[in-house]
Amino acid sequence: MRRRALLRVGNRFLRNPNGLPRLPHPLPIDMARVAQWFHAASDTTRLGMLEFLSQRERCVSELQKILGVPQSSASFHLKVLMESGLVRQRREGRWKYYSLRGETLEYMIAFTRIVSPGEHAGTCPLSCCQ
Amino acid sequence: MTSAITARPDAPRVARWFHALADEARVNIVEMLSHKERCVCELERVLGIAQSRLSFHLRVLKEAGLIADRKEGRWMFYGLQREMLDQIAAYTKSVKPGKHAGSCAVACCD
Repeated sequence: MRRRALLRVGNRFLRNPNGLPRLPHPLPIDMARVAQWFHAASDTTRLGMLEFLSQRERCVSELQKILGVPQSSASFHLKVLMESGLVRQRREGRWKYYSLRGETLEYMIAFTRIVSPGEHAGTCPLSCCQ
Repeated sequence: MTSAITARPDAPRVARWFHALADEARVNIVEMLSHKERCVCELERVLGIAQSRLSFHLRVLKEAGLIADRKEGRWMFYGLQREMLDQIAAYTKSVKPGKHAGSCAVACCD
């Protein structure tokens, strides 16, 4: 069963965004997309990449050197990160540079806020939600 | 810089938090628990997942510390752990562009 529930952003979140940019209401994302973001960050090598990219953009050889992984592995992990929308690629001459997409990280933070206990992010067919 | 490293949660632990939310069914469970704690029967009915599968997903979420269970009579109730959601948000915030969350062996960080 595929549930495509749009996340309802709680009023409290909209009023008190804690420095986050104003997000569209409701968040235009489905649960599969949310799972894809978190899946991209659920591997220690990819977490290492996110940390090293958090300062500035890097090329694949830098990431390889720092993390001590073969190029095929680095490319695979970068592909997963790009497909999830966490990382973007920029080509300069023969080099490709990778950088973090801050807006996806904002969405991940927003997700953890709107599912905080008491917020009720979505809708369900239970009587409490009607 | 050393203190900054020790203060950070270790990577396998962080990976486990994110892994808990890396499945659509588990994201749906978290979304349902955001209102209030629920029993397995409610989750099963709303999400349409077989109980064996549901138990597996609940175990993954519980092992990552995202949910806690409470027994009431013959029913088990599951509730979200706000502190864990806050920790995930704090970690995600720390890797936002321009932050440089970790330390590394490249020249710019020496």
